[in-house]
Amino acid sequence: MTDLILQIRGAPSLSGIKHLGERRGNLCRDKEPAIATAYDYRRRTKAVHGDDAEKSSEIMMIGASISRWTMSYFAMAVAWLFVVLALMVGGVGFPAADLASPDTLVLVHVVCIGWLSLAMCGALFQFVPVLVAKPLFSENWALPALGLLSAGLASLLAGFLALEGRLPAWLWLLPFGAILLIAGFGLIIVDLGLTVWLRPVGPARFVLVGLASLCATVAFGAVFAFALAGWAGSTGQLMLAGGVPLHAIAGLGGWLTLTAMGVSYRLLSMFMLSPDIDDRKSGATLATGALAIAVAVVGGVLPIGFLAALGVVLSIAAVLGLATVALYGRDVLAIFRARKRRQLELNTRMATLSFASLAGTALLGAALVVTGGFAGHVGAFVFLAVFGWLSGLVLAKLYKIVAFLTWLETYGPVMGRTPTPRVHDLVAERRASKWFVIYYAAVWSGTLMLLIGQPSGFRLAAMAMTAGVIGIIREVIRTRQLADVASPLRLPAGACAPHLLFARN
Amino acid sequence: MTEYIDVDVRPILRAGGEPFSVIMSALERLEPGQGLRLFATFKPVPLFAVMADRGFMHSECALDGGEWEVLFTPAAAKQTDAPAGAPSFGNWPEPAVTLDNRDLDPPEPMVRILAAAEMLAPGETLSALLRREPVFLFPQLEKRGYRWVGGFTPDGATYELTVRAPL
Repeated sequence: MTDLILQIRGAPSLSGIKHLGERRGNLCRDKEPAIATAYDYRRRTKAVHGDDAEKSSEIMMIGASISRWTMSYFAMAVAWLFVVLALMVGGVGFPAADLASPDTLVLVHVVCIGWLSLAMCGALFQFVPVLVAKPLFSENWALPALGLLSAGLASLLAGFLALEGRLPAWLWLLPFGAILLIAGFGLIIVDLGLTVWLRPVGPARFVLVGLASLCATVAFGAVFAFALAGWAGSTGQLMLAGGVPLHAIAGLGGWLTLTAMGVSYRLLSMFMLSPDIDDRKSGATLATGALAIAVAVVGGVLPIGFLAALGVVLSIAAVLGLATVALYGRDVLAIFRARKRRQLELNTRMATLSFASLAGTALLGAALVVTGGFAGHVGAFVFLAVFGWLSGLVLAKLYKIVAFLTWLETYGPVMGRTPTPRVHDLVAERRASKWFVIYYAAVWSGTLMLLIGQPSGFRLAAMAMTAGVIGIIREVIRTRQLADVASPLRLPAGACAPHLLFARN
Repeated sequence: MTEYIDVDVRPILRAGGEPFSVIMSALERLEPGQGLRLFATFKPVPLFAVMADRGFMHSECALDGGEWEVLFTPAAAKQTDAPAGAPSFGNWPEPAVTLDNRDLDPPEPMVRILAAAEMLAPGETLSALLRREPVFLFPQLEKRGYRWVGGFTPDGATYELTVRAPL
């Protein structure tokens, strides 16, 4: 498949068109007219076997500006990350309590919704327009969505505490929280979905599948919330009894993992000066991943009535999941091999530890299944996936994204007119790297402590994780405050210092 | 009085389709002296230059809901209502500066293009080769009043960008 692209900004002159026509000789093979001004005329021609080329095209605006609320999402996400670290250090929830206990539900939902989903959404509000070279459908929805998600999560957590008996039995808090979360995620899914829908190319397709998985996750979660409040009838109780693994697979596997994979393709090749991965290769990875999720979710819902069959469905999904990780590993390796930049930046070096954690998660899962210990150690498996793979990747990329966006916001308006620092000047990688190392070492030891059943050792590991995260976030805040930029370059005439919690765009 | 043939491409655009072949085939069917009345879901500024190249002047008026009606009048025919905002057709000269930014670490390509653009005399152009579509550069160019034209080569490996300083 070839992707022929032609863009013009500004109404070019008559001779400009001629000039353009000459250029188009090597750009486009057909006789279609060139078009201009803030519209991007993309012609994607697809070779059809034994037939003429089939053509389709779209017209759209070009360019990506700075997302106003991405920093706000990141800040809220980090706040929730500290909550989850405090809970783990304090011994609340798993492993001190049972995996299915309300305390563990608090822990899991703080980390998955509060930390990972908010960080992912914040990144996507900035990154999806870059992927599709098209502005967000509506930037105005981002802040209300953040409010709804935060309120919904708080209500859900209070509901779990009520289940545990730590609060009065206000079980209505669970469905109430679910409704707020549906509203918040709904705004985000529609906003990002409509933005990607018009041009689902390359990594953007991962985002679409991720958003679809998010829909499934939220739907399951809502049914559970209503069932826990006793409002969902016998079907709801049946779903609650058998559907929890499906909820987790759709959320961690479909929404968070597939989206993170898609985003990582572009970020890695961008930061390492590597060509984009072949669409067919990433497409195969995505198709396998999407199939794994679809098998688990669709195949899982059907036999919930006959719980015996669920194991078969989950085994098929697990094999497909392993294949997805293997294909993703192949793609990431190809990006590393084709890179032009030999010296890797800190965020990329640290992302490799996250990839290692993903491989470790896959191997651990397979080993546990083979030895028959999966059910007993599912906590360790999920912990490594959540903190080694997903959180590690998010922290590494956060470090880079905040630096880049802060640099663009502060120095973009004066760039070329006055000397400005490089992005690299906003960070102190040497200082930051030790915090990442502490974090990953702590996550791996924590996994080990869970596997060998040492709750107190796990709490020590959680303390070390907290130290690592404090160090990393302190570096990120310093970056945002331009604290490491030497003073003559720091704020040249015409540049404004950025606000910590939102961007002026 | 110019006679106008109506072409409504709004349904095609709403369906995400490609209106240009329709517009061009309508154009070919025009009798000498006839004009084209185009209905679109956006102001088709890109088309103005193309139509100018084919000898048509344009005047546009906004309809409800962000839609536009544009009259394309053969330049030879006397236009009844002269367009207010017709683009001035000056030359895009050969690039005064040529940059090969393909092997620079991001965001260095953007920094160099903006620095070089600031050095251009009014109306001068620069051309640059890049690895990627410089999506963050476009808003900066726009804010500074620059025009640009760019596209990927057929192999998709190089993005060619030409930037013109405001007059």
